[in-house]
Amino acid sequence: MIGGRGDPTAGVPPPPSWSNRHPCHDHDPGHAPSGESRRRQPRGASVIRLVPRLGIRHVFLAPLLIVLGGIVAYPLLYSLWLSFTNFNIIKQDQTRLVGLDQYLGLAANETYVAGLVNTLVFVGLAVAIELVLGLALALALQRVLPGRGRNALRSFLLTPMFVTPIAVGLMFRFLLNQQLGLIPAILEPLGVRIDFFGTQLALFSIIAIDVWQWTPFMLLLLLAGLESLPPQPFEAAKVDGAGTWFTFRNVTLPLLRPVIAVAALIRGLDAFKVFEYVFAITRGGPGSATETLQYQVYRTGFSFFRLGEAAAMAFVLVVIVLLLIVPLYRRVGDR
Amino acid sequence: MRTPTFGAMAVVVALVTTACSSGAGSPSPTQAPVTPAPGQSADASAPPATISGDIKVIMEQVPDTDVVAAMLADFNKAYPDVKVTIDGMTYDQMRDRIVSSFLTPQPTYDMIIVDNPWMYDFASGGFLEPLDERIAATEGYAYDDYAAPLRDIATVDGKIYGVPFYNYGLGLIYRKDLYQAAGLLPPTALDDLVAVATKLNTGGRTGLAMQPQKGYKIFEEWGNYLFAAGGSIQDADNKVALDSPEARRALQTYIDLYKSVAPANSLNWAFDEALRAVGSDQAAQMISYNWMLPTLNKPGGPGGDLAGQFALAPVPGGKAILGAWYWSIPSNSTQKDAAWAFISWLTSKEQDTQRVIAGGAPVRESVMTDPNVWAKGFGQDYYETAAKILANSAPLADGPNAEESINVVGDALNAAVAGQLSVDEAIKQAATNMQAVLDGQ
Repeated sequence: MIGGRGDPTAGVPPPPSWSNRHPCHDHDPGHAPSGESRRRQPRGASVIRLVPRLGIRHVFLAPLLIVLGGIVAYPLLYSLWLSFTNFNIIKQDQTRLVGLDQYLGLAANETYVAGLVNTLVFVGLAVAIELVLGLALALALQRVLPGRGRNALRSFLLTPMFVTPIAVGLMFRFLLNQQLGLIPAILEPLGVRIDFFGTQLALFSIIAIDVWQWTPFMLLLLLAGLESLPPQPFEAAKVDGAGTWFTFRNVTLPLLRPVIAVAALIRGLDAFKVFEYVFAITRGGPGSATETLQYQVYRTGFSFFRLGEAAAMAFVLVVIVLLLIVPLYRRVGDR
Repeated sequence: MRTPTFGAMAVVVALVTTACSSGAGSPSPTQAPVTPAPGQSADASAPPATISGDIKVIMEQVPDTDVVAAMLADFNKAYPDVKVTIDGMTYDQMRDRIVSSFLTPQPTYDMIIVDNPWMYDFASGGFLEPLDERIAATEGYAYDDYAAPLRDIATVDGKIYGVPFYNYGLGLIYRKDLYQAAGLLPPTALDDLVAVATKLNTGGRTGLAMQPQKGYKIFEEWGNYLFAAGGSIQDADNKVALDSPEARRALQTYIDLYKSVAPANSLNWAFDEALRAVGSDQAAQMISYNWMLPTLNKPGGPGGDLAGQFALAPVPGGKAILGAWYWSIPSNSTQKDAAWAFISWLTSKEQDTQRVIAGGAPVRESVMTDPNVWAKGFGQDYYETAAKILANSAPLADGPNAEESINVVGDALNAAVAGQLSVDEAIKQAATNMQAVLDGQ
């Protein structure tokens, strides 16, 4: 780390040849020139003079901040501004500020509200199921399989993660197809006939597809967490005669909680972006059964060209994400 | 933890919202649409063979793209100094790229595919070059050779903005052998369709593969039912005319058929699932794009052993839903003359004949009535029926916000089939929402 809290270099003028100086020497009082030499600095060296004043850490941060400003802050603020306009890609000459109209319009938009509810159900259920399954698989892998076997099986179990979600969507569109699909063909002789993309089950089928693809991610994180836990508490529990379930509840889970929180946080953020499965399989239907916010943002902004309204839709989602995620993130941070 | 919290949040926010930003390079929203660059030839003339240029073309990555790509060598014999590069991509990608290209000072594309719902919005937004003068100045081009419904879509406020390239007119594709065995004739009315589909719904084979997927697809199919029931989508003043007894009857018939003769659990099906069901002997017929017929009858194609058993008829009632693709030149292109040289060459009678023989969807009447095309292509029956379909067809929506107005109707129809809305509620919702979208609300 360069510099630090209360960096003493603030306000201290640079040495005559700062470029030859090791950054770690920032704190070296022996290199601090006198006030006399500072007065003798030529005007052209004003930028160089600024460096220590800001602290060298800030100078090194600058490229990153500039890039982040360009690719995060600018699009963000531009989108925010768009959400207060009626901006339409193909009617740009009619653009005007409409205040909160776009946001107020969303409250009366039944499809949007349905999409909001569906998205929250999707995120809540998918992440919860992935967490439970991922933890169960991680515990099984840790206990049952040693070294090499575990690594081989772990690599195998991770493969769904490497398939692009749009391909996963297309794959399941046909795998679950009643007439043409493999899964109904297997179930049919057993007397089981399921309408996977009917009104009742479509959202849950989409959740199941997400679980298939992303449980390995939970497994990866939780297994790494389990492997990094200290052995002493488990040994102590064993010596005290604690049973498997008691140890899991009172030792494993509390120790693993930070990892679980991080895993849920990352998956939760990712799950809010659900789009590909809906796009490839149901297009939001039947009715509004699988409408999700990201699909609506896409449809409104790119199919219907109303970027102002789409930006408002996205910002409502941003606020929801912030309200849900910030407390969780803070909690993880505190630990 | 404040700093990392908000750093992470900023990334989240950017991921969620950047999809809605046209990015740093985009012009101000108040910027007027791009106008033709100075020096571009507004006064068109027949493209001379000495014309030079470097044009970039965007197309959907479909078999037809390969057909066009294969014709480039011949084009360069006629126009050696025009270099053509074709960018093939998926449909949604294509639309996004086209719109992006409209908005940039240096356009990416000089020749684009315009789907019929986009035509009015793109043309009225000033993004497309009017082609009237170029068409008139191109000797022997015969623009009237295209069926009137195709020409109507390309005409916005009295000017032509696109040349038809590909038709998506719908027809009934049925199994000849099954019809013959059951002593049936292709249905000419809605009730006939119900009777035929019910009779053929036997022996593990469903009577009719449907495409009730939410949005565009269901409306594209149901629109034919609406016409057959005597209804219309818009009236002569372009007002929405969906709230009618005919529309209710058409929707009730559609739902009844879905429940009784369509493959089980096919509520999310689009045309590709229907094609596979018909091609694999799991459904007796379907209402789909007319050019699916040669696709199914092609040996080694999706029809498998059934290739040759499929036939095409106009939809019951005779009037079909029409979709079409057009070649257009973006108004911000700097290569308009070279682009027109390629468009006029590719869509000329002579070259269009070659394209259709190679498997492209027909659009010119003279090509569809050409015995040479019948012999080398897919037979007289197919081309004559296709011509009949195109002559009596209409698009789902014509006018502003067409894409959205089609989708809002399709959403309501699908909700009715799914049982979330009654027929009456769905028709009222479809009519109200479509009118609101057309009015720009």
